[in-house]
Amino acid sequence: MNRLILISPLIILFVICLFVLIYLVSGKNPNKPPSALLNKDTPLFKSVSLYDDKTFINNESIKNKKVLINFFASWCTPCKVEHPLIFELANENPDLYILGFNHKDKKEDAKKYLKDDGDPYNFVGIDSDGLIALEFGVFGLPETFLINEDGKIIYKYMGPLTEKIIKDEIESLL
Amino acid sequence: MKLNLFSKISIKTLLFFCFFGISLSANENIEEKVKKLTLELRCMTCQNQSVYDSDADFSNDIKNLVKNKFEEGESEYEIKKFLAERYGEYILFRPFFNYNNLFLWGFPFILLTISLFFLIFKTRKK
Repeated sequence: MNRLILISPLIILFVICLFVLIYLVSGKNPNKPPSALLNKDTPLFKSVSLYDDKTFINNESIKNKKVLINFFASWCTPCKVEHPLIFELANENPDLYILGFNHKDKKEDAKKYLKDDGDPYNFVGIDSDGLIALEFGVFGLPETFLINEDGKIIYKYMGPLTEKIIKDEIESLL
Repeated sequence: MKLNLFSKISIKTLLFFCFFGISLSANENIEEKVKKLTLELRCMTCQNQSVYDSDADFSNDIKNLVKNKFEEGESEYEIKKFLAERYGEYILFRPFFNYNNLFLWGFPFILLTISLFFLIFKTRKK
């Protein structure tokens, strides 16, 4: 009995540690850490159009709009997988402004990709040096962000979008 | 006082090497700072590798960004803050000491204190 009392603090400590560990690890995927930008203002950006060197887009251009930002590239295979879904989103949500950032790509390749597979974006901005992606905390393609009318990032998804993700996570935010 | 040609050349050569040396040392200094900081950053697309050790596209972008920011005169803390604001503190191998991480930083000391009490209690009893 005495022995049990003696080791009881250690048992309590062990139980606390176990609960803390379970809390810290549960539901978290170390490969997909939550975005630090969620509920924060859209980072400052300025990008030139893929189709016209004289047309630019910046934060001011998307003011008071609900915007879906999608980082993609012609060399990114998972981007091709989600591409038809971007069309679906565009068709089903005509008020949604879809902004694509063509990441570290060759202009000709990007244009060919969007010509062959179709262009679902309202605007395609160039992110040739990857600096816009760094501002948005992107570390792999494709990545998708949803911005509300106040300019706050309300959703981020890393990886190719799926029907399920759109239905379960995005539709309710649109 | 008039300097002869030899003196002029000598002074110019000396000045050139001084400036060259200073610029080289500044570059080396920045390279060292980049290395030190990127060793403390996690490569988000690799498994347990620092940005410095990784050759992934993401890591190379971060290395360039860190170098540019050092060249612009930003401090190590400012660069870490910039990255943590975008990628979360997950990118830092050594998270900031703040309210959110208080438990993380304090737990080893709590554990040590409890162990010491336990040890004292046990030795006293003996």
